[in-house]
Parts: sequence; structure tokens; C-alpha cells
Amino acid sequence: MTTANDVLAALQSAFPGVIEEAKVGPERQLWATIKPDRIVDVCKYLRDNHSFDHYTGAVGVDKIDEGLFEVTEMLASHGAHQVVALLKVKTKRDGPSVKSLTGLFWNANWYEREIWEMLGINFEGHPELYPLLLPDELVGVWPWRKDFKGYPDYNTAERAIERLTAEGYTEYSIPPTEAEVKAGTVQKERPKYPTFREREEMEIKGESEMILHMGPQHAVVPGPFLLDILVDGERVKKAFLDVGYIHKGIEKILENRTYMQGIPITDRLCYMASLTNNEAYCGAVERLLGIEAPERAQYIRIILEELSRIQSHLLGTAEFLTLIASAVYSPFLYMIIDREDVLTCIESVTGARINHSFVRFGGVRNDLPDGFKDMTLDTLKMIREKTEEYKELFLSDSIYRKRMEGVGVLSPHDARRLGVSGPPLRASDTPYDMRREDPYLLYKDLDFDVITRKEGDSKARVEVRLDEIFESCYIIEQCLDQIPSGPIMAEGIPKKIKPEPGEAYYRVEDHRGEMGFFVVSDGSDKPVKVKARGPVYAYMQALPPLLEGVYIADVVAIAGSMDACTSEVDR
Amino acid sequence: MVLSAITEFAAQEPKIYGLVIGLIAAAILAAVINVVAMLLVWLERKVMGDFQSRYGPNRVGGRWGVLQLGADAIKLFTKEDIIPRGADKPVYVWAPIVAVATTMLVAGALPFGALIIDGREIPLVVANMDISAFYIEAALSIMAIGAFMAGWSSNNKYSMLGAFRGIARMIAYEVPMGICVISVAIMAHSLNVVEIVEAQSVWFAFAQPIGFVIFAIALITDLGRMPFDQTEAEEEIIAGYNTEYSGIRFGLLYFQEYIVFLLGSILLVHLYLGGWKGPVIPVISFISPMIWFFMKLVIVLVALIWIRVSLPRFRIDQVTDLGWKILLPLSMVNLVWAVVVGMYFA
Repeated sequence: MTTANDVLAALQSAFPGVIEEAKVGPERQLWATIKPDRIVDVCKYLRDNHSFDHYTGAVGVDKIDEGLFEVTEMLASHGAHQVVALLKVKTKRDGPSVKSLTGLFWNANWYEREIWEMLGINFEGHPELYPLLLPDELVGVWPWRKDFKGYPDYNTAERAIERLTAEGYTEYSIPPTEAEVKAGTVQKERPKYPTFREREEMEIKGESEMILHMGPQHAVVPGPFLLDILVDGERVKKAFLDVGYIHKGIEKILENRTYMQGIPITDRLCYMASLTNNEAYCGAVERLLGIEAPERAQYIRIILEELSRIQSHLLGTAEFLTLIASAVYSPFLYMIIDREDVLTCIESVTGARINHSFVRFGGVRNDLPDGFKDMTLDTLKMIREKTEEYKELFLSDSIYRKRMEGVGVLSPHDARRLGVSGPPLRASDTPYDMRREDPYLLYKDLDFDVITRKEGDSKARVEVRLDEIFESCYIIEQCLDQIPSGPIMAEGIPKKIKPEPGEAYYRVEDHRGEMGFFVVSDGSDKPVKVKARGPVYAYMQALPPLLEGVYIADVVAIAGSMDACTSEVDR
Repeated sequence: MVLSAITEFAAQEPKIYGLVIGLIAAAILAAVINVVAMLLVWLERKVMGDFQSRYGPNRVGGRWGVLQLGADAIKLFTKEDIIPRGADKPVYVWAPIVAVATTMLVAGALPFGALIIDGREIPLVVANMDISAFYIEAALSIMAIGAFMAGWSSNNKYSMLGAFRGIARMIAYEVPMGICVISVAIMAHSLNVVEIVEAQSVWFAFAQPIGFVIFAIALITDLGRMPFDQTEAEEEIIAGYNTEYSGIRFGLLYFQEYIVFLLGSILLVHLYLGGWKGPVIPVISFISPMIWFFMKLVIVLVALIWIRVSLPRFRIDQVTDLGWKILLPLSMVNLVWAVVVGMYFA
């Protein structure tokens, strides 16, 4: 089994002098600072020789005191080993530029674009540096920088453009970096996000082609994201996706709140997964603080998070079935009625049905109430019976199967390359589950199967969700049997939390996939940087290639089977 | 006195008399159809509510929400009638009217049950034509023109896709449907719907089970109901051909669907389920055929609503595949069966 130390030793021998500083953290994490000009080589080496084939994301941090930006590239492996490599690259604050990893990892595209538009770090070799989450007008404002004073300075588009123009920016673009000037690779005009008309002119080739809007204002879209499809008759030739319509700036908000005040904000990442979002954030801060929740609290967290997984999978399946079964939403209504009972179980502990803010640093807020065990066991029994029934109803019906089988097939190779995680990845025959890969809480003591399917189509994704409901039921039953009595909060946690300076990365298995929180502390009571690495961001990026060549009706069958949550994409 | 005057007038001016009587009958027919279709909308909403564990309309008009449709109709009548700037105005304006008018053509030839007067069955039909089955089939086909006009003239991509889908589907399903009607006509030795009903000593649903299934599927497709409502698939193309419509024009298009739903179900009852035929109920023998007819009709309607709430939507290529590759060959088999059995019994 490869350990973080092995990887570090291999790196040091293969790249002498390139690794500036390195440490092996707990939980199989390798933290290393790499010389900026060699980062691509190091990542290529890790990808090819140590099977770091899972590009998890990138974090940009503004170290204003040191006059530096830090970009941390996060690499992991799809099951070959459990090491997470967090490779840091430093660049100076004026004219920041980092080498792009898009050549190595397809899914680096969006993560780098986001850092570019938020921090203003140029990514050399990135094919399409144009705004993703921000509106075009706000590029150049660099909201994640610490010297950003807020929008009152330039709260209208005109003023932003005025300011940019005065500083020598052409509209919506940034000047070439010194490195680019030296290398002679200056692009005349950086690409900007094309308007609809421009896109029509660029893309439409034949008489029978047209571009069809599927959002942001569309009957099917659960949250607003733009999906334009170039269709030839009933066939989709190409899909264009744009997100950022409801960008809330949650990561920036978290920087301006104390650690404790941040917990309710993380609820709002995605209302379906508020408990796991709490868990990911609190877990990262717990790692910074070096504390661990008592056993009872960990069991309570597992119970509630698995209950939450059940309700999320029920609603996710229901929404998907609605998409192919039209506005006649019988499956939706059946499943949402069952979901209410699960929510009631959660509510009896947390006091809330949607936004729980329940997990605390080093514990949980409330203990389980009396009678919780009986109520939950009854509910689980009902859920099991109903889920069996739904499987029979919806997965054996010939029309449902016609609409799902062979639709949106992701081969295991493609699924890994596109960076999806959670049920869509497991439906593509890759048993990649954080509860097994990077066991958090007490999952390593619990018995459960990681559900996989071989087909990788829409039906497989729905089946994985429905089968995971059974596994979650089983996990909760074990927890209810094993849960010890004891305290629900760790001892000696101060009221005002001030972690030691440092960084921590903690990932959990969200209902939709791999959810990671990267928290940077400078010793004050507010985090310097919080990065939420959500699973749906990765799905969304992988959507356009999946939609090429399918029928218009399949667009909803594919997008729906991903169980996307726009709220989390536009954090 | 009045009656004798009318008889005299009828003898003197048979053409004018026919015209006046026809107009009166058409007016009554239109009124009855519209009221029944309205009740049908209510029935569907209520039954669907029951199927989906919810109440359905339950506020306007007491517990059963019977006045909900009146409220909806008032709303649709008073809403602004928006015509998009880019629309082909004459076509856009006339499309709902064409749609409803072509639907009403079907109603003219369909019997709405029968009464027994002096031991004789009197079918309630406006135009008792010799070729009424053929005529109804033809009228059902041209119904697609109204929807296509609406989709094409809206100058909207979703509407156009919906209209195209409607035409593709109509072509794929009219052929097997027509062959089924021919099979029925062969067995009944007549194209007259009244005579087809009277020929059913054994329901044709039992005499030609394949034909019955094919006709039912093709009929649901023609009605544009789930699982064949690709023309207005909300998840893909918003509302399909009527995306741009609002106010009373939308109301007409919406209402037309329910009128067709009603008329199609009546046609199914007549062609395959023995129409109004059934054992005579002793005390109320006068309306006994009507009771049988309505019982069959309600069962068919509720069954179609049941299918609607249960099944998901086919993709458009799967629909045309089903029509051309499965239903058409099967309907041919059914035709051969009908000829053989028909000759044997003849």
C-alpha cells in the first residue's frame, strides 16, 4: 500500500531540489510546496507513475502579508491508494501566473477559471480563460483578494469597466503577464464569454440547425444554469453550459465570519445536503484544532448524515423520474411523502427540516431525544419496503427502461477523466466512496457495501441511489445498536475558536459525491480562506461532453440522472 | 299546430328545412360537447389527484371543487391575448379556431348513444352517413393541422419542434389506425358507425384483440396524451406547440385536447366495445342504451387517465419506431385476421 511517505520519497528522488518544503500530515495527506516552473512535470509524474488520476480541485489563497498567492493543487487516486497530494505553488502578487494543468487533467479547466476570475491569477496554457461564475463586467475586480474593498466601490457594470479601461485593461480581459511577454505567447485578445447571437453565428453551420435554450429559465431546471444545445432536428450536436446565475459568494462570506458563525453559512451550499456540508466544514476545522469528537457524537453524526442521504436520494430519484415522466409527477409525490417521515426523524434531533446547522466543532448540538430509536427503526422499515416497491415500479417498467437504459453512458475511464464522483462514478464501475477511501468519523468500524454498477447509464445511476438507501438504512441500524452513552461534545473547546496557523483538508462523502473543505487559518478567529470543493461542480463540468449526439429528450434524462444542485455549483 | 306547420314547411322547402334543423342540431351538439368536455377536465383533475395522493380541486365550489373549471374559464377569457411580434399573425390567430373546428367535424358523425322508443333503437347522431367511420378517421387526421399551424406560426423554437413532432407522430400512427378501422369495417360489413355498433353481437375488442390494442395505442397517440405527449413535453420543449399562446386562444387549444379526448374515447367505445349495446334494463328500458354507453365511456376515460398518471413519456424516435416497426405490421396481421374471420362468419 502506497503511503504518503513513499510518495514523498519518490518525488524527492525524481525531482531533487524541486520540492521546497514538504510534510506528511495525518490522514494520509502529503503537503508539498513545488517550484512553480516544475508543477506540471511533478503532476505528470504523479499521475503516470503513482496513479494520482483524480484531480480533486485547486484552491487559491491570497497571502497578502507575504505578497504571495498560493495555489494548491489537490490530487488523489481512484482507489489505487488513499494518499491525497496537496501541491502548493507560490506566485508573486503583481502579475501572478501559474502553469495550467488543463493539459494533464481535463477537469482542471473550471477550477482554474474560477481562481482566475476571483483572484486574478493567470493560468498559462489554459484554453478558455473567460468568466465562469462572475458576470463579464466584474472581471478585474478580483473579489477573493484580501485588498478587495467590496462592491460599493464599483457597484455598477459601467464603473467597473471604466476602472478597468483606465488601468489599461481592454474590456473584460487582463493584460498579458511578464512571463507571457518573455515567452512571446501573448494572446492578442483573450476569449470572453460569447453572447447568444455570437454563438449562433459561430456554431450554426447548416440550414436545419438551431440553438435551443434549456435554461436558465426553463421548466426543467431545478436551479438556474444556462444550457444551450445546438440541435439538428431532434439530435443534439453540441452543448454549452454556463453557471453562476445564483453565485452567493459563500466562500468569501466565510472569510468574514468567525469559525462558529460559518456553520449556518455552510448549510446554504446545498439545502439537500446541509448536514454533510456542516460535517465537512467542522471536520476541517477540527483537524486544524487537532480535536476529535467523542464517540457518541460521531455516531449521532453518522446517523443523521445517513438519514439525510436517504432523503436526498429519494428526492433525487423522484426529480429524475419526474423529468422523464412529465408533469404527471406521480413518482415525485410518492417519494416526497416518504421523505417527509425521514425529515421528521431528523427534525426530532436537530429541530429543523432543511437547514440544520447541527454539527459543532468537536461534537454535535443536541443529543438524541427519547424514543428516537424506535421512531427511526419504524421509518427505516417503511423506507425499505417503499424503496423495494419503487425499484419494482420504476426500474422494471418497459417505458422507464427504454428512457434510461443506454442513455448517457459514462465508461469507467471517461467517468474518472471527467472528474465526477459519487453515484455517477460508482454507476460507472468505480467503487470510489469517501466513507471507504478516506474513512472519516467511525465509518471504518461499520459494515456496508459500496454499491456499484457496470453499465454507467442513467438507469445505473438511479439504481445506485436506490440501493444506497438500503445501505444507509443498514448503517443507521448498526449505529443505533452500537451507540454508547457519553458526552456529545469534546472537553475543553474554547468559546472563541482560534486555530493555530495552518491548513487542513477534510473530505466527506456527500449525498452527491466527494465534498471537501479546505480551510486556511492564520491564528485569528476568522479563516483566511475556505474552499468548498463540491461534487456537483464536477458533474456540471462533465455534462456538455455527455450531451453530444443524444436526442433532445435525453438531455433531461442525462442531466436529471446526475442529481445536480445548482446552489452548490454557484457557491 | 306548430308541428303541422313545420311538417308542411319541410315538405315545401326541404333544403332550407334541412339547413335550419342541421344548424340547431350543431348548436345543441357543440353546447353538449363543451359542457361534457368541461366535466371531463374536472374528472381528470380529480381522478389524477386521487392517483397521486393529493386532493385535486377542492376550494372553488365546495368540497369537490366543481366550480374550479368555471373559475379557470373566466380567467382564460379575461387574460390578455398576446400575439408575439415575430408571429405569422393570421395563421397564429386562426390556428386555435381551426383546431377546435376540425375537432367538431368528428363530433358531427359520432353517435352519442341511443334511445329506445316504441321498441326501436334511435341512435343520437347528427349526420348518419354511410361512410362515417372513414369520415371520422379523416377528420381525426386533419386535426394535426391546427396544432401545426399553431407551432409554425408562433415563430418559437420550442413550438416548432412540438409541431414537427406532432406531424411525425401523426403520420406514423394514422396508418395503423386506419387499417384497424378498415378491419372493423370488414367484420361489420359497413363503414357506418351506427351499423358497426349494431353488428357487434360479440364486441370487436374480443373478435380482434390485436386490433383493439393497436387502435387504443394509436388513439392515445392521436389524442396526444401520456405516454405520447411529445408535442408538449414540458421538460424538453416548455409547452410545445402552444408555448406562445395565452388567454382564450390558449384556452381553446387546451380545451380542444379534452374535446378530442372525449370524442376519441367515444369512438373507441363504438368501434370495439359495442357502443350502447347491452342487455335491456327492464324498468328504465327507454334509456337503457344510454346507461350502457355512459358506463363504458366512463370506464374508458378513467382507464386513459390511469395510463396518463402511470406511464412516462416515450422519446420521439421510440414513438415513431413503435408506430412503423411494430404497430403497422401487427395491424396488417389484424387485417388478415379480420378478413378470414369476417368471411367465415359471412
